[in-house]
Amino acid sequence: MTTLTIDGQQQSFTPGETIYEIAERAHADIPTLCYDPRLKAFGACRLCVVEVEGVRNPVASCTAKATDGMVVRTATPTIDKHRKTLLELVASENREVDVDPLRGYASQELAMLVDRYDARTGRFRGKASGKSQETDQNPFILRDYDLCISCYRCVRVCAEQEGDHAISVRNRGFETQITVEFDGDLKSGTCTFCGQCVQTCPTGALADRKAIRATELPGPIEKARTVCPYCGVGCSVDLQAKGGKLVGVLPAMDGPANEGALCIKGQFAFDFVQHPDRLASPLVRREDGELHPASWDEALDRAAGGFMKARDMHGRHSVYAVASGRAPHEAAYAVQKFIRVGFMTNQVDNCSRA
Amino acid sequence: MTSPRTQELIEHWRDQPAPLLSLLHALHDRDGFLSDGVLREVARGLRAPLADLYGTVTFYHHFARFPPGKSAPRVCTGPVCRLRGADALLDELRKDGATPMACSGRCDEPIPVLTGDEVHVGVDSASLVNRPTPLPAVRPDGGEECVFGGIRDAGRAKLAGYGGWAALERAVREQSSEQVIATITDSGLAGRGGACFLTGTKWNAVLEAPGEPKTIVCNADEGEPGCFKDRVLLDHDPHAVLEGMALAAYATGATQGFVYLRYEYPQTMPILEAAIAEAEAVGLLGERILGSDFSFRIHVRRGAGAYICGEEGSLLNSLEGKHPFPRNRPPFPVTHGYNDKPTVVNNVETLASAPPIVRNGAEWYRGLGLGDHAGTKLISLSGDIARPGNYEVPIGLPLRTLLDDWAGGAPGGKAIKAVTMAGLSGGFLAGDDFAVTLDEPSIRARGSFLGAGGIIVYDETRDMVVAAHDVMKFFAHESCGKCFPCRIGTQRLTERLAGEAGPASLADWQSEVVDIGTTMKATSACGLGMAAPLVTESLLRCFPEEVEKHLGA
Repeated sequence: MTTLTIDGQQQSFTPGETIYEIAERAHADIPTLCYDPRLKAFGACRLCVVEVEGVRNPVASCTAKATDGMVVRTATPTIDKHRKTLLELVASENREVDVDPLRGYASQELAMLVDRYDARTGRFRGKASGKSQETDQNPFILRDYDLCISCYRCVRVCAEQEGDHAISVRNRGFETQITVEFDGDLKSGTCTFCGQCVQTCPTGALADRKAIRATELPGPIEKARTVCPYCGVGCSVDLQAKGGKLVGVLPAMDGPANEGALCIKGQFAFDFVQHPDRLASPLVRREDGELHPASWDEALDRAAGGFMKARDMHGRHSVYAVASGRAPHEAAYAVQKFIRVGFMTNQVDNCSRA
Repeated sequence: MTSPRTQELIEHWRDQPAPLLSLLHALHDRDGFLSDGVLREVARGLRAPLADLYGTVTFYHHFARFPPGKSAPRVCTGPVCRLRGADALLDELRKDGATPMACSGRCDEPIPVLTGDEVHVGVDSASLVNRPTPLPAVRPDGGEECVFGGIRDAGRAKLAGYGGWAALERAVREQSSEQVIATITDSGLAGRGGACFLTGTKWNAVLEAPGEPKTIVCNADEGEPGCFKDRVLLDHDPHAVLEGMALAAYATGATQGFVYLRYEYPQTMPILEAAIAEAEAVGLLGERILGSDFSFRIHVRRGAGAYICGEEGSLLNSLEGKHPFPRNRPPFPVTHGYNDKPTVVNNVETLASAPPIVRNGAEWYRGLGLGDHAGTKLISLSGDIARPGNYEVPIGLPLRTLLDDWAGGAPGGKAIKAVTMAGLSGGFLAGDDFAVTLDEPSIRARGSFLGAGGIIVYDETRDMVVAAHDVMKFFAHESCGKCFPCRIGTQRLTERLAGEAGPASLADWQSEVVDIGTTMKATSACGLGMAAPLVTESLLRCFPEEVEKHLGA
């Protein structure tokens, strides 16, 4: 069996695992900024460096494969000093470190690490990097690159997870700028507005434009786990509510079907829930040919009457129901039960499948 | 609108090995720049994501996206050229659309101006002249040379003048792969690009690594300021380099080779292509070389202006058409190189050393060094020195001997105040450091390294903070932007050396500069970020009073 020692503890591992992966299992809590477990290790932020006995320089644990008998120390004073310096450097290139958590799933990573390593020192002042793309007025993704730290998580998630290859990087060095082809708007390229770049961004530079509308609403952000109803994949989501309103959707990173992925509909298409045009009471068409507000009893009586009439005249297969992808799963369940048990027919479907 | 010619070029190149750079150059040569429309067609033709292609094109300093593009002059503002008035020349040529470029490897005869595919050199617009790379001066002490041994012979760039590929013939006819590798290993030849990895060990690793086809890459992306030794070898002794590649291929079982040539050496390209054609015509390259089962082809690929592409991982990514970031190591190129197959990446000088070693034997080469040191090293000497140029020194030669006896010291009887090592990457040596001998152990003991062998000389009148700023600005310009310590660190150090940002008190300034440098050295992902802080480290060590003056000003 292959083993290594991490912070004095023996750990067994499978050949091919990185030091970081094993250390995570051992709860070493190594800091990272460019790491996303779903993506290929990249080795940009260097925060995950650790000491490996017999190796002169610190080793980036996210890219280094473990070897049998390795002795690793994840948080020596020297290593922690490098981490603090790196975080001071990163903080120095941005407009600000603290951002609204509604910006995205990972948006607090930088602020939390800066606090953890006491790096709010204001050292290393100088020019800022990255420039916000203010002209891109798409309704979904705010491109606030003033806060970008060039970790390339957005570029990589777009290529490796979504397969869109919509995001790339212009120039090099400190002039590096996350962009799309010819520096246009997201919609000019191959972006499908899935929002995965937003949710992996560790600084909130890419932000959920819909969610941040609720920044000023009172109260804490509450979350509820559910499954996206839009199609049959079954992506797990955490609905975010604030001030009694649905304000945003987060993909569940542990969702078995989606592992943090969503599409534009699951991620951004929830405005109908609180839309002013949404019916708050039933409408019934009266003899004048117009729709009029009615009580539930009246509306249900009318609907039941119509269904029964159709069945009596044309038989049980004359009824067909299509459930809405915007309705909750419970409603979809009720519809199929209603049609199957109530009418004894299988003519039922859901718009997400059609 | 579809340009049929663009399609023709795409169709010509897309099935060639490592097509992207060549295709982009063909289009860049045709139009002078790479338009949106052309990039769209290339992306479609190569089935590459357009966003990635756009990003990668912007990475390279010499790919223009708009007119006048390639036809506008580019003036070298490298550290040596700035000592010679590059800023004034640039201002003079601004009327023609001139822009600055990083060191372009003509430090022995500044200042180069690159226009299209022509390089002119001169210190002002009136004196600009297109002239070939100067030959190295004859070794002043009359000692025996290895790579410069025949370079001054008339007609050397032609196969006949070179005398045929005797070493390859001998290897193919009389020796096994293992025997060739044993000779190279016994000679002590080590990577002359500066990493000093034993060449025989590298070749053996590729020989033993599973996977085909295997590849030999000649790293001719000589981007380190103050280094111009590979240019003289490629221009005047191309057959030595190509024969060295063929020996490496024979020793390792490789069947294809690339010369990755830096963009700033446009005149070298036809020289190499002519030499390859000559060798192919007589069966020294191609299928079944010299009637054996050994087949090997060499392709020249031209870079597009990125110092980092001299780093082997970046170079390989660049060849493969990927974004030229360095690769995480391990795995190393010997097992996962070009297209993830076993690959030798060797410097020009390393490869050019192989034929004389195979011809004359390992003992002969070892004996060229002084004391226990094996072999020789090319040194490119420039800056405030009476006789700048390339010198082949026995490893272990005292630095002072080279500076004073061989190269005549600083002009005008001035004292030498400092020299750089490894081009710029080794930082400065000054004062007591001048007692070093030119070998890695001696120079590493001073916190520096010999590297690719560029030495820039500063005389007593030079402001070392200004010099350090020029150097750091280069590293900031060339940082690829992948790893945080280098991307941000080179910028912050440049700002502090320029006096644009940072604390005013010496203690705070020093604390910031030292902390940034320490973390860069320890945590950067490649040699650029690890080496850059040697500049500030050596500045603070050798010239603290100049730093204090800089902060006081």
